[in-house]
This record gives sequence, C-alpha cells and structure tokens, in this order.
Amino acid sequence: MALIECRHLTRTYKRGAEAITPLQDLDLDIEAGAFVALMGPSGSGKTTLLNLLAGIDRPTAGTLSVAGSPVHTLARGELARWRSTHVGYIFQLYNLIPVLTAYENVELPLLLQPMSRSERHARVAAALEAVSISDRHAHYPRQLSGGQEQRVAIARAIVTEPSILLADEPTGDLDRATATSMMELLARLNAEQGRTIVMVTHDPRTTEWADTVLHLEKGKLVEQAVGGAA
Amino acid sequence: MRTLPFEYAVRNLGRSPARLTLSVGGSMLVVLLVLTAAGFTRGMEQAMRVSGSPDAIMLIGSGSEESIERSEIAMRTSGVVAASVPGLLSRAGMDAVSPEIHLALPLSTGRDDQGRLAVIRGIERAAWLVHDEAKVEYGRAPTAGRSELIAGRLAARSLGFEPPRSMIGTTFQLDGEPYEVVGIMSAGGGVIEGEFWTALTDLQITAQRDSLSTVTLRTDGADLVDLQSFAATRLDLELAAVAETDYYAQLAAFYRPVRLLVIVTAVLIALGGVAGGLNTMYAAFASRVREIGSLQTFGFSRGAIVWSLMQESILASSLGALLACGIGLAVLDQFVIRFSMGVFGISIDAGVLALGLAAGFGLGVIGAAVPVWRCLRKPIPEALRAGE
Repeated sequence: MALIECRHLTRTYKRGAEAITPLQDLDLDIEAGAFVALMGPSGSGKTTLLNLLAGIDRPTAGTLSVAGSPVHTLARGELARWRSTHVGYIFQLYNLIPVLTAYENVELPLLLQPMSRSERHARVAAALEAVSISDRHAHYPRQLSGGQEQRVAIARAIVTEPSILLADEPTGDLDRATATSMMELLARLNAEQGRTIVMVTHDPRTTEWADTVLHLEKGKLVEQAVGGAA
Repeated sequence: MRTLPFEYAVRNLGRSPARLTLSVGGSMLVVLLVLTAAGFTRGMEQAMRVSGSPDAIMLIGSGSEESIERSEIAMRTSGVVAASVPGLLSRAGMDAVSPEIHLALPLSTGRDDQGRLAVIRGIERAAWLVHDEAKVEYGRAPTAGRSELIAGRLAARSLGFEPPRSMIGTTFQLDGEPYEVVGIMSAGGGVIEGEFWTALTDLQITAQRDSLSTVTLRTDGADLVDLQSFAATRLDLELAAVAETDYYAQLAAFYRPVRLLVIVTAVLIALGGVAGGLNTMYAAFASRVREIGSLQTFGFSRGAIVWSLMQESILASSLGALLACGIGLAVLDQFVIRFSMGVFGISIDAGVLALGLAAGFGLGVIGAAVPVWRCLRKPIPEALRAGE
C-alpha cells in the first residue's frame, strides 16, 4: 500500500458565478521514502495538490489517504491534529516567526505533542544538528541569512518526524549556490532518514535530486518521469 | 487544547513600539474616562449617602422641600419648636435645635478677585450637637461677632488650599465683608465638608437676611410624625418637616439624570475608543495573516491562535488600564467637583478601580475579537499567500 493514495482527487473553487478547477480527477500513488518533484506551469494545480496533501485544503471530490488516514473525511479539528503529527511543511519564504529564536521556531510544532521539556530539547537539538544550524540556535530570523532561515525552516519541518515532508518551492527565494546546498540537504534527509518528500518547483535544476518528477497541466497529471530526466 | 507559548504573545507586543504605544495609550485614555465617570458618580452618591442622620429632622419652608437654599422660615421657629415639641435631644442644657441659613455666595480674596461661589451656612452652637458628624479638625469653630469661617476639608481644597489646613488665617471677602478662616472641619465625607460655616448672626448681618433657611433638630423620643403634626398645627410658620436622610435621598434622585448623562457620555466616548482599538488591533493582526496561516499549517487550532492573539490584546489593554488606575489614584482621587449643592470629591475606591480594570480587560477582548475573526476566516492556503 502506497504512503499517499489519491483517487479521483478534484478541487473546484467558486469565484462568483465562475467555477475554477485547478485539480481534476487525479489518481496518484506515492510510496514511502520517495522524493517527488511536482512541476508544471502556473495554474497547473501543483500547489493545490500540495495543499490537499498537507491537509490545509479539502478536496471537492475524490479520496485522499496518507499513511492510512482518510484525510478527506477528517473534520477541521481532527485535520489540525493530523497535520501536527503527519505533515512537515517547508515554505518558499520560510515563514519563521520573527519574535522567536531559531531554537524556539523549531520547538514550536513540538508544543502540540505530549512531550517533556527535556525530550523536546533533545528533538530540537537533533533537528538543528541535522540541518547544520546548531550554532545559530539563539539567533532571531532577522539575524540569519536566507539560506540559514531555510535551514531552520527545514529543521522545524522535520522535528516532529512527520510521515511526509512537503516543500513549496523551497529554493525559490535563494541564490543558486544556497539552493544547491538546500537541495543536497533535502536529498540527504530523504536518503539517510528515509523521509518522504513532495516538492513543488519551477526550477528544472532542482529535479535532479528527486527520484520522481510529476508534470501537471490544467489540473491533470500529464507526465511521470524518473528524477533528473525532466 | 495545546496553546501557543505565552512568550509569543508577550514578544509580539514589542514588534511595533508605535502600535503598542497606541494600544496602551488608547486603553489608558478610555479606562481613565471610565474611572472619571465612575468616580464622579461614586463620589456624588457617597456624599449624599453619608449626609444626614436618621434621627435628624429638618423644618423648612413649605413648598421648598427640594431646595434648602430657596427655603425661608421665621426666625422665631427654633424657639417655638423647642418649646412645643417634646422628645428632642438635649445635652448639657442645650437643645439639639439648630437654626440655620444656607446661602450660595461668592468668596473672594480681594477686590480684583471675582470670587467663587461657595455654600455658606450660618449656625449657632447647637449645630455641632445636631450635626455631630461635623468635627473641628484644625483650628477652632467660628465665634459670633468676629466674622469668622470654618471651612469643610473639600471646600478648602476646592479653592486650591492643599493641605486644607493651609487655609487657616486666610481672609475672604463675603458680600464686601472680610471673613477670616479660623478652622477646618470634616464630616465623614458628607456634603458638610463642601461648606463654610459661620456664626448665624454674622451671616444675617452680612447677607441682610431676617429669615432662616431651616431649623434642623435631633430627636430623642419624638419622631417625624410628631414634627409633621407640629408643622400642620402651626400654619402661621408655613413649615414642612422632612427627615434629613430623605432630603438628601431626594437630592440624590434629583441629580440622577446628571449621573446618567455622565455615564452615557463616558460609554459613548469609550465606544469611540473601542473603534480606534479595533482598528489598531486589526492592523496589527492583518500584517501577520501569513504567520497565522503558518501556525494553522503546523497544527495549532483556531482556538489556540485566538487565545494567543487575545492574550496579546488583553496584555496591551491591561497595561493601559493599570497606568490609568495609577493616574486615577494619584490625580483623580478626591479631585474636587463643585456643584450647586456644594462640592464633593471624585472617589476612586476599590470598586471603581475594579471597574476600570474590568473595562481594560473588556477592551482587550472586544478590541481583538473582530480583528481575530477577520484574520482567521481566511482559508489557510489564502492566508499563506497573504503579502505576496
């Protein structure tokens, strides 16, 4: 059984009298431990798919199962709890909380888990170590470079040991060298820790680290390729 | 429900010092207004409530039951009532029957001074027996024939004498006559503290008055019905008998619309303050919509986020409320308000302070509720795109 199973997944938005369907009747399986890159032009539905996988949006039709949980059936509160344990999300603009230090930013998702302070401390320290940013743990986001901020954001995404790691153009705001180092970090997390990663990207260069590249157009899956072939 | 750390709310306050200043300052002003309105009504109520004794009865001019200053009764009334009504209090041979004149006259310090209106009560020695709540605090009581005054504590403060005893030795012009203040009296916070007392005969001469305003007496066996019977049988004196406590209760009722007006004005201005607060908090939260979307993405419930934003708003407004309470205690408490009945002090007591703090808390809750709702109603994907 695949870690992620989408069946006839459809998302329609209503804008006035007009109905927009960025994702239509999508069938997709993603195995545990995969590193998937989602590509496609603007409006192709890749971010909509990522939002549905993250449980921050709901399908209009179809089913979505992640790690055995029927995500499409969960109520708002259940969905929030599910997200806190199953999803790690990496944003393009990092979305660190400016009033919290790097350490506190990484610790934030753990506050939703029943966990002692010492256990939390060990998990945060390990996550910061995994992304090589331990020495900046007491810094506030404004004191960090873009690459350092994204490292902290990745540490925050992995600290809960989620079932899936979702990244929305994680290198979109970084220079080339930093983007390369970030992709190497994600690839290492995928290879060494077996993290399942689904990444939305516009940059064909970043697909070389993915083992699967999915092309979406007008809400439909039009091509599935092996990483690096895009 | 797993909540966001309290530090998050505290540190968010420091994000924009200008906005924090506006929030705290706005709340402080609104709470200060609430304290002023509540302290005003409380002070007036207290002055009325502690004024008058249950066994004191006032004989005033028939038809002038609502205003002692308009009342005129014959000079001989006190002698007649003392001789006619049994059961009046008597101490050391003195009947507790106090003939009095109540006048509102301008007190000035010199020719160039227009003077300020003050309630002057002309009394005899029996007044101290009838109004036993009145005590000489400093100096002495006025002596007849020497044009002397004793000032109530609030009356002295209303003319700028702080501490009140600093007024002793001051000479005022009263209808062109020099009067010297020889003492300061207290009266448990009652209206007497807002008055000046002088000898009855001196005031009669100065004001060229040959009638009394009231004869107030203390009973010791007699009751209101006895005095009402006396007034009914002595039609030549044109008297009405009123219990002193009822007189002040009527006076309090007369001023109820004023208190209501003060409260309504305060509420309306406070609502304006709330509208301003809503605007400030909305601006504060609206700039963080993406952050709020991120917190929801991590799994924080709407309830947890609402609570954290509420904490932030309540902290700011409570800080303003605490500052307002400090200012209220330091500046407003016992601030003297002049009124036609005399003066009273704004009373910032524990109840008024509690009301001010509750208002600050309420401001925090109401000020955050609408902005929080507006920020959280956006779907998470839309919130995450905010500011792009």
